[in-house]
Amino acid sequence: MTGPQVGDTVERFDLEKAWLVDPVSGREGPGEIVVVDGVLESVNWLEGVEATGIDDRGVVVAPGFFDIHAHFREPGFEDAETIATGCAAAGHGGYTSVGLMANTSPALDEPGVLERIEAAARRSGSPVEIFAYGAVSASRAGEQLSAMGELADAGVLGFSDDGSPVKTPRLLRSALIYAGMLGRPIVEHAEDLDLTAGAEAHEGYVASVLGLAGWPTAGEVNAIARDLGVLADALADEPGARLHLTHVSTAAGLDLVRRAKAAGLPVTCDVTPHHLAFTDEWIAGSRRWAWDALRPDGEPRNPWADGALTAGPYDTSLRVNPPLATPADAAACLAALIDGTASAVATDHAPHTVVDKEVEFGRAVNGISGIETALGFMQSLVDAGKLSLSKAIALLTTGPAAVMACWPGAVAAGAARPRGFVEGATADLVVFDRSSRWRVAAAALLSKGKNSPLLDRELPGRVILTIARGRLAYEDPQAGED
Amino acid sequence: MATSTPQASTTPAVEPVTWRHRHLIDLDVVSWPEIELIMRTTTEMKGVLARPIRKVPALNGRRVTTLFYEASTRTRVSFETAARNLSADVVSIATATSSVTKGESLVDTIRTLEALGAEILVMRHSVSGAPYLAADIFGGHVLNGGDGWHAHPTQALLDLYTIRERLGPDLRGRKVAIVGDILHSRVARSNVWSLTAAGADLWLCGPATLLRGMERWAAAWSSGEIPGHGRFNVTSNVDAAVRDADVVMALRIQRERMQGGLLPSLREYAARFQIDAARVGTAKPEAIVMHPGPMNEGVEIAPDIAAGGRAVILDQVANGVAVRMALLYLLAGAHVEGHTEVVRR
Repeated sequence: MTGPQVGDTVERFDLEKAWLVDPVSGREGPGEIVVVDGVLESVNWLEGVEATGIDDRGVVVAPGFFDIHAHFREPGFEDAETIATGCAAAGHGGYTSVGLMANTSPALDEPGVLERIEAAARRSGSPVEIFAYGAVSASRAGEQLSAMGELADAGVLGFSDDGSPVKTPRLLRSALIYAGMLGRPIVEHAEDLDLTAGAEAHEGYVASVLGLAGWPTAGEVNAIARDLGVLADALADEPGARLHLTHVSTAAGLDLVRRAKAAGLPVTCDVTPHHLAFTDEWIAGSRRWAWDALRPDGEPRNPWADGALTAGPYDTSLRVNPPLATPADAAACLAALIDGTASAVATDHAPHTVVDKEVEFGRAVNGISGIETALGFMQSLVDAGKLSLSKAIALLTTGPAAVMACWPGAVAAGAARPRGFVEGATADLVVFDRSSRWRVAAAALLSKGKNSPLLDRELPGRVILTIARGRLAYEDPQAGED
Repeated sequence: MATSTPQASTTPAVEPVTWRHRHLIDLDVVSWPEIELIMRTTTEMKGVLARPIRKVPALNGRRVTTLFYEASTRTRVSFETAARNLSADVVSIATATSSVTKGESLVDTIRTLEALGAEILVMRHSVSGAPYLAADIFGGHVLNGGDGWHAHPTQALLDLYTIRERLGPDLRGRKVAIVGDILHSRVARSNVWSLTAAGADLWLCGPATLLRGMERWAAAWSSGEIPGHGRFNVTSNVDAAVRDADVVMALRIQRERMQGGLLPSLREYAARFQIDAARVGTAKPEAIVMHPGPMNEGVEIAPDIAAGGRAVILDQVANGVAVRMALLYLLAGAHVEGHTEVVRR
């Protein structure tokens, strides 16, 4: 059987009786779509008799997702991921656009590295749209600024030393001002390296029982406070200065962002699917969702008391930076998405090799391979009644686009385009079956990074088809066979 | 203030208990009847040690490998003595002289040792949780000789045995104070599991900087029932911890804690927290004094107390051999074929 291959223009795709979600118009309901020669030819909203029997529990069509924080490891760490495998994984996750971080080797600190990435994306044949962030500092060493102007000219979304925070407040201030002049943000991995030195897990009950060195909440809060303080000063010199805090993970950290936004500071933030869905009790062997780890009164359940520990402890796929925190922190991440403190869900997809993960917990590298499971996490939140389907979709589409809209350079690069259904526009969409569960197995993940805590578990929301830029980005190999 | 747990009992369990664990990594998964089984087996092993020839053929031909990633004399020698007393073949690997110094991973080392015939792996490692990784890949039995700050189950079991030898088998309501660097102590953590299972009135005590996080553990156990375990107390008030105690256990204070900014000085620690005659005088008249070793005499424990009549520190060392014989014996006899126990384990 040779159907259309990844990268081929979608000549004809008709989908009848689906549930359409358009986060731009805010409309969702029964409908049909037709794609012809890569163009979204028609979007038909069905009403009355025609809509009978179609609900939001089955096949769902949404605009393609945008992951504003991922690591595809090329150049430098191609044994963990390549642009090609990353794009394939993105398509499997329903993503049609991805923003890549600069912690490659060499770091993306000058336009030559970006050219290599763009060439690899073209060679891959995948239509997934690749954006990139430039490093804040040369070689991400935190000493001097990267070739920011040249990188901006080459089209980077913004600047980040992600993997590490910008090393000094002095450099951060210069970077905010200089990047602001270029219409770009600083995207900050907020971590106080002094407080987190040697830390293995979020400081609290679980780390205490497991004898893991604690990562205090202040490890994030202090860094956010620093970043916001510096931003306030930088704005006096450069009104275009913008700060984006990525993977904010604690209730206290999100509170700081909430207050800064209320005070009018130009700051945005995102949270990851794993900080929404996992907690530190997973490291002890619990395998229940974060929202199931809270009692109705808001107090955390005790996994040692209630039989929640069903798996082995110290699974290194759970070692991530920032670390998985408490059920209350996970609930705060969700609350921040709902009240607008956080604008988007970003995966921080961090593939790693077995060599780097099949080691002692405290020696494992940080990171979760997550771009293929993000939709399943969001769908699980929806199934649990914590989030509406349309809001979940918005956090993967219009939310990221709204972050990009704050950055003139990203707008110029085309990253802020609205993610809705526009008849006559190039097709960019994902089709998934909300109720169809799939097994997260190593062989099922297209990423080279098999470092998922969900291996051999099932997630809802099987992706059937992803179309990016009018071309096929992913098709479920089982689709059409039954 | 007496805490109790229905699992604690003065008599051997009514139901015959069989050993079902393939590995022993921590006591969190070991039930009270199983602990009683270990205690009874230890008593039998003490009987062996009392004979003129302290050797039985129980593990004749079985291969015990000790893999120590951390410097240790007493624990390694104790395990190896225990294994030899049971007639096992013992291979001893200290990582300073092995290919670990050439960068071999733990996983590769374990696979190599298994290929070389290791059946029971006694392991000490500086990273918490490392023995679970070993147990995931090793086809035989893993016996934890101490991992990071996490667990030191044979120490906690020999402590329990020593306490029961002196106080009797029923520890319900008996006050045990563990004083020292709780934060970094695998001995304290494993003792939490065993002593709360025994129903003891457990107090963990030390400078607040060396108790970090333990209050949250104690609070979590106070707010809900942990099956088979009672609650425990955490305090930086050493007088409250030691007063009327039946057992006072001092833990080693390491010099690194000063460099880490956790303590002003050893002198100040000694002045405020040392287990000395005055403090022991506030404990019960028949109270015993323990220390897992190695001791810094004059720091966490006064020399006269360490050498005095209350101290059972050498009993701990002697009982350690018997406890480790018991565990090697139980593990070697554990049924492994088709064993599907998740490594909780």
